[in-house]
Amino acid sequence: MAVGLILFGILVMAFAMVAAKRLSALIFGFRAQSFFLFMLTFILAWRENSTQLYIVTTMLFAVKVVLVPNFLQKVARRIKADEDLGLSVNPTVSMSAAVLLSYMAYLFTGKIVSIPGEFENSALFISLSATMIGTFLMITRMKALAQILGLLVMENGIFLAAASVSGGMPFIVEIAIFFDILLVVIILGIFVFKINRLFTHIDVDKLTELKG
Amino acid sequence: MQIFAILLIPLALSGIAVLPGKTRSFGVFNAAGHFINAVLAVWLSLDLLRTREAAAYLGFFYADLLSAFFILTISVINFIAALYSIGYISSDVRDSTMSERKAKAYYALFNLFTLTMLSVPVVSNLGMVWVAIEMTTLVSAFLVGFYNRKESIEAAWKYIIICSVGITLALFGTILFYYTASRDGGVSSLNWTDMAAAAGDLNPSILKVAFLFIVVGYGTKAGFVPMHTWLPDAHSQALAPISALLSGVLLPTAVYAIIRFATVINICIGTSYTGNLFMFFGLMSLGISAGLVLVQRDIKRLLAYSSVENIGIISIGLGFGGTFAIAGALFHVFNHAAAKSLMFFAAGRAVKKYNSHSIRDIRGMISAMPFAGTMLIVGAFALTGMPPFSAFFSEIMIIISGFTGGFLFQSSLLLFFMAVVFCAMIHNISRSVFGEKPSGMAAEGEPLSGKLAFGILMLIICTAGIVAPGFFKELLTAASEIIRGA
Repeated sequence: MAVGLILFGILVMAFAMVAAKRLSALIFGFRAQSFFLFMLTFILAWRENSTQLYIVTTMLFAVKVVLVPNFLQKVARRIKADEDLGLSVNPTVSMSAAVLLSYMAYLFTGKIVSIPGEFENSALFISLSATMIGTFLMITRMKALAQILGLLVMENGIFLAAASVSGGMPFIVEIAIFFDILLVVIILGIFVFKINRLFTHIDVDKLTELKG
Repeated sequence: MQIFAILLIPLALSGIAVLPGKTRSFGVFNAAGHFINAVLAVWLSLDLLRTREAAAYLGFFYADLLSAFFILTISVINFIAALYSIGYISSDVRDSTMSERKAKAYYALFNLFTLTMLSVPVVSNLGMVWVAIEMTTLVSAFLVGFYNRKESIEAAWKYIIICSVGITLALFGTILFYYTASRDGGVSSLNWTDMAAAAGDLNPSILKVAFLFIVVGYGTKAGFVPMHTWLPDAHSQALAPISALLSGVLLPTAVYAIIRFATVINICIGTSYTGNLFMFFGLMSLGISAGLVLVQRDIKRLLAYSSVENIGIISIGLGFGGTFAIAGALFHVFNHAAAKSLMFFAAGRAVKKYNSHSIRDIRGMISAMPFAGTMLIVGAFALTGMPPFSAFFSEIMIIISGFTGGFLFQSSLLLFFMAVVFCAMIHNISRSVFGEKPSGMAAEGEPLSGKLAFGILMLIICTAGIVAPGFFKELLTAASEIIRGA
């Protein structure tokens, strides 16, 4: 029951991020989604009573709930980023597209990869939805910072699949992936600074020096 | 034990690079370090060929003959790029395009980049392979955006974003792989050696879906059409030695990751599923890039599209299956890396001298810079597979096995597109090489380190097809046996 509600929360947050019109709402959505993910892995760790899973849970909290959102907020403040997200698709269409993507994910998990177990099935469906919604955010949001958040939503989806479907990846791989996410965000943040300095904006659709 | 040394040398060099000292003398030291690495790679191959057993350490590091082949290719090209960097960076420092500090940063990043590339083939864990490939993107993005110009930052941003999305999809595929391995095969690690041992028990339909994610995900990094959109930007904006590394060895490294997954599937359900996907993406990359090579007006983008084309040829060779075809594909990885580095080095010299990327502006290279001009035109012939250059032999290996394997349609398309690329490449490159040089431009020679780098590459592409050392042939055959799952 609790697990089901948490899974639902992850999906709702993905939709909330599609509906978000402002950068701060987007960052908040990501923080909340990561927090739901943290609760889920905490329950899994508690059930299996495994130290390794507890460590993964702690790292998840530190990296995705605290460090990454704080860092992104700081970057946004430092470059005085416009709150407007530069939607290339209006919110209604975005929302319909997100619903359609979730439905496709539902069909995919039901028909193509049929996995035994109700929890595993819905977890895979929600993780695939989150991954596709993340991709959608990256394609349709034209601010560099919003693209970073799209990527992070994708990674949240993947993490959900790893944690719930396959019972967690081998420990060292999980740790390496967290480290990697942190590094990606920091490096992308550096590039946001560079773009902002050179172009005096962070609108990705206006990066058009290279053609052909 | 050689693989530890191979990893430690670039790590140490990247640390030494930031110490105070003259960049030029560090460049020489750097090249020497990478020369030792190349020698170690040869030694490793010889060792593994003698024992015929994979070297595994700590359940984490692992090198079989397929890894050895990739390590060898990567470290040879690393060495040549390090050699070429000496002259290239010194001249940038001299005309103050680059500060001394920046040059030090270049060498540090160069070594980190080579370290991440070398760590891909030496780990046995598919999750760590994923991490290593992601690291190559992160480090090389700084090298793509190195000059901090508008175009280079734009290219770096696209590169890092598109490749990160791709690699995230690949992670999803890896998780599906792990799911069926742990549920159906009873394997609790991500080691492909364990997965291959349990391959018979895995769930074929999940494996097939997983492999689609893997091909699309790592294919983004390998430059398969239609996920190649970052590639021409990144390759044209990077520094010339880095362009050579990106194109010659980084793309095949991503193909290596796909191969490791394909091997497990081949054991489980036979080679036709992976083979068809390799052929599909290969032909698509080849066809689209052939058209783009034809209309390209920017010399470095031309070479970048030619990389997409060559990845297509390699992928088709892997798709044909059979020891001979796969050996041909691996041989082509090596030949393409050598010929493409030669051309990127020569094009890099031209871009610097003419201060333009446009083929229209770069004219009369043969009189303005006789050495680099000659290399550029010879490289064009070598790259497009003219005899007696080595790429001819690898391409003919692939084509022969295509026709004898019954892939008549695919092989005919392959031949047709290769002919198109040949005409387009020679047409475009000869316009730059021949003709009148701009008035008032003084002829310029090549620095010694550049001459050496060109000379070694020339030696490789002229002889590799005809008098390749015996161990190299054995290495190719053994590696292709591993891919087939034999």
